[in-house]
Amino acid sequence: MIHFISKRLKHSLALLLLASVVCFTLVVSAPGNVAVLIAELRGAVAVPGYVAQVEEEIGLNKPLLMRYVDWLGDAARGDFGISYRTGQAVSADLPHRMMVTGTLIAGSAVIATLLSLLLGFLGAFWPYKLPDRVSRGLALIGASTPTFFVGALMIYGFSVTFQLFPSFGFNGPVSWVLPWLTVAVLPAAVLSRVVRVGLEEAMTSPYVLTAKSKGLGRTAILFREALPNITPVFINALGTQVGLMTATGIIVEPLFAWQGVGDYFLAGVRFRDFMVVQACLLIFLTFFIVVNLIVDLAVLMTDPRIRRQWS
Amino acid sequence: MTLNRRSFLQASSVAVGLAAAEAAFVRIAYAQGAAGTLRVAIAKPAGNLDPQSHYAIWAIQDLMFEPLVKYGKGGQIEPCLATDWKIEDGGKTLQLTLRQGVTFQDGTAFDATSCKWNLARWMGKDQYSWMNCSKYFESLDVVDDYHITLRFKEAPLALMQELSYTRPVRFLSPKSVGADGKFIEPVGTGPWQQVSADDTQSVFERYNGYWGDKPSYERLEAKVISDPRSRVAALRAGEIDLIGGFWVAALTPEEAKQLETAGFNVAIDPGNVSLVMAFNPDRADALKDQQVRKAISIGIDRAAISQALYLGYAKPAGNLFSSALPYAGKQHDAPVLDVAAASALLEKAGWTGSPIRSKDGKPLTLEMVVSPEAIPGSRVIAEVIQSEMKEIGIDLVIRTVDHASKHTDMLEKKYDLGFFLTYGAPYDPFGSVVQLCLSTFKNDVEGKLVTDAANLDPLINAATAATGDQIEPTIQKVYDWLYDNDAIAPLVYVPTIWAHSKRVQGFTSPVTEYDMPYEKIVLAD
Repeated sequence: MIHFISKRLKHSLALLLLASVVCFTLVVSAPGNVAVLIAELRGAVAVPGYVAQVEEEIGLNKPLLMRYVDWLGDAARGDFGISYRTGQAVSADLPHRMMVTGTLIAGSAVIATLLSLLLGFLGAFWPYKLPDRVSRGLALIGASTPTFFVGALMIYGFSVTFQLFPSFGFNGPVSWVLPWLTVAVLPAAVLSRVVRVGLEEAMTSPYVLTAKSKGLGRTAILFREALPNITPVFINALGTQVGLMTATGIIVEPLFAWQGVGDYFLAGVRFRDFMVVQACLLIFLTFFIVVNLIVDLAVLMTDPRIRRQWS
Repeated sequence: MTLNRRSFLQASSVAVGLAAAEAAFVRIAYAQGAAGTLRVAIAKPAGNLDPQSHYAIWAIQDLMFEPLVKYGKGGQIEPCLATDWKIEDGGKTLQLTLRQGVTFQDGTAFDATSCKWNLARWMGKDQYSWMNCSKYFESLDVVDDYHITLRFKEAPLALMQELSYTRPVRFLSPKSVGADGKFIEPVGTGPWQQVSADDTQSVFERYNGYWGDKPSYERLEAKVISDPRSRVAALRAGEIDLIGGFWVAALTPEEAKQLETAGFNVAIDPGNVSLVMAFNPDRADALKDQQVRKAISIGIDRAAISQALYLGYAKPAGNLFSSALPYAGKQHDAPVLDVAAASALLEKAGWTGSPIRSKDGKPLTLEMVVSPEAIPGSRVIAEVIQSEMKEIGIDLVIRTVDHASKHTDMLEKKYDLGFFLTYGAPYDPFGSVVQLCLSTFKNDVEGKLVTDAANLDPLINAATAATGDQIEPTIQKVYDWLYDNDAIAPLVYVPTIWAHSKRVQGFTSPVTEYDMPYEKIVLAD
C-alpha cells in the first residue's frame, strides 16, 4: 500500500506543477489589462501615468517566465501574494474561505450520500413500483435542473415565501441548510441512480441466489450482500461528485453570500486578479488530487480484489 | 430491518417538524436583532476605509468621514466641517472657518491642527494631482484654532466641489494612524462609528457625540451580498431593509419593478449620470461625415431604449449633462426618432442602396463594442440600436467584451461606436469634460469620448480657466460645439434606483451616487 501511496503522490505533484503552468498561461493570455482595472477601482477619475505606475507596482512589466517563477517560489512558502483588487494578502483571506467552502462541500456530500442511499434503496426495495418511479422521477428532475435555478427556488420557497431559513449568510447550522441542499441535489440525483442500478445488478448475482437459498429476506440481502458489493462503485462516483461540488460552489457561494473559495475565485476572474485566481486554482487542483487519492485508498480498503492486486 | 411506508412517513414528518421549529426560533431572533438597526446590502466588502486609500466603497466612507463642505441638491455647496469660506485673490486664496465643538469618534478635537494634519496627507502630492486643489497647492496657514488659509499657485477649477469629494478629502482622526503615519482604524467625525468589519459585513453604531442631527436609530449593518438576485431575495425575505445605488449594490429597473409589484417602496430619481454614445472617426471613415453621425443619432429611438432597459424610468438625453448638475448648460430636447430624415441624410452623404447602404462599393458597416459588465444592460441597448440602424441601412456589428477588455479597446480606440458613462455629481461637469473630452489630458482608464485638439480643446481650456460669471458662458460654448457638430450622441440620463422595506420611512435618494442615504430614515419598529 505504501508503494501505491508514494506512486500516487509523485504523480500528484507532477500534475500540480503542470496544472500551475496551464493556469498561469490561461490567466496571463486573457485579454485586457488588470492595471487599468486597478486604476479605475482606486479612483473615479483617472490619474495621468497611473496605469504605468500600477503595472510597475504589481510587476506586470517583468518577463512572463520571471513572473511565474516568482509566484511559484512564493506559493511554495505559503505566500500567494497581494490581491490586486483588495490590496490584502491572499494567504490571509484563504483560511476562513477554505473553512467556508469545506463546510459547504462536507455538508453537501453528507446530504447527497444520505439522500442517494435513501432514494436508491427505496427503488431497490420496491423495484418498478411507485417508490421506484418516484425516486427515478426525483433523480431525473434533480439531475436536469441547473444548480443556480435550484438555489433560486430554495431561496424563493424557504426564505422569501415561508421565511424558514435565511436567504444569505454563514451564521450557523440554520443558514447552512439551503446551500447544502442546493449543492446536494445534483450529486444526490446522480448517486441515487448509481445505488439503484448497482443494487439491481447485485441482486441478479449468484451470491444473492445463494443467500436466497439460505432463506435470507430481501432486506437482509440488500444490506448484507448487495451493499458491500456496490460500495467501491459508490465511493468512486461520490469522489467524482465531491470534486464537481467545488465547481458548483462557484455558483452557490455568491448566491447565498458565502465568502468561500468559489466566491473568491469568481471575483478574481472578473477582475483579472491573477494572484487570487492562481491561488484558488491551486487549491481546487490540490483538492481534486487529494479527493482522488482518498477515493483510491477507500476503494483499496473496501475492495479486496484491488487490495490483492497491489499486495 | 423493516421499512414500511408508515414508519418512513412518520420519521420524515418528525424531521421536517424539528427543522421548522428550529428555524422559527431563529426567525424570532432575526426580528429581535433588527430592532433599531438599518440593514443595508453592499455588493462587496467595504474594504480599507482610509480616506486616502482607493479601495473602499464610497458610501461606507461617507457614513464615518465628513468633508469641509457638502455637495447639496443641484450642486449647491453647503457647510459641513467648515461653517464659512471666502475665495479671494482671483480664486488663489481660500479662507476657511472651521466648525467648533466637533470631535472625532475617539474624542480628539477637530480644529485647525487636525485639519492641517489631514490636508497635509494629500494636498500637493503627485498622486492626487488629478484634483486641481492638490495640483495647484502652494501653502496652508493656521490662523487660529478655527481658521485656516489655503493658498494656490493658480485658481483651482471647481475648488469647493473638489472639497466635497469622498476621497481623499475627508477627515480622519490624527490618532487613527500609527507612528509611521499609516492608517490603522477608521475614525472620523461622522454620525456613525465602526464596531466591526469583515468580509461578510460592516457594523456601525450611532456616534452620540456627533455635532449634527443624529440618526434616529442606533445601529447600521452593511451586509455583503454579491449576487444581485440574492440581494432582492434578502429584501423580500425581510433580512435587509435597503438596497440600491450604482456603487453600493446596484438594482436594475426590472428588479425594482418586481419589488414594487411585491409591495416594496422603490425610489427612482432622474440621476446625474449620462449614457452617451461615442463615434470613432479615426477608425470608421464614414463617421468623419457629420451627416452620418447625425443620421445615426436621429435614427436611434431613445424612448425605446429607456423602455427596453430602464422600463421607462430613464429620461431620454439631448445633452451631455442633465439639468440636475450645475453648469449643465442650455438643455436641448432629446432627438426624436426620424427614419425618413436619417435616411435622407445618408443619401445626401452618398451612402445609397438597400438593404445595407454602400459608397464606392464599400458597405456601411460599423462595429459597436459593448461590455455589460462595465455598463449593465449595454448589450440590450446595442441590440435595440442594431435593429434601428438596419432600418436606415446601416449594418451594425456588436462585439461584446468583458470589463478589462472594454477598457483596453476604448483606450486603443478599437471601436466604431461605443458607450460611455459620465462621472456624475460631484465630479461633473468639469470631471467628464476635461477627462473624457480634452485631448491633452491623459486618461489611461476610460479612453476618450470625443477629442478635437484644434477646435474643442481651446473651448475646454477657456471654460476651465474661467471664474465666477464667466464659467457658464464659456462652458456653454463646449456644449454648443458638441451639439452643432453632432460629435456625440447622448442617449439617456441613468436613473438612481433604491428600494426599501416598509419599516424604512422618510427615505430620500442621495444627492450623489457616492453617498449613503441614511440621513432622513426613520425605522418603524
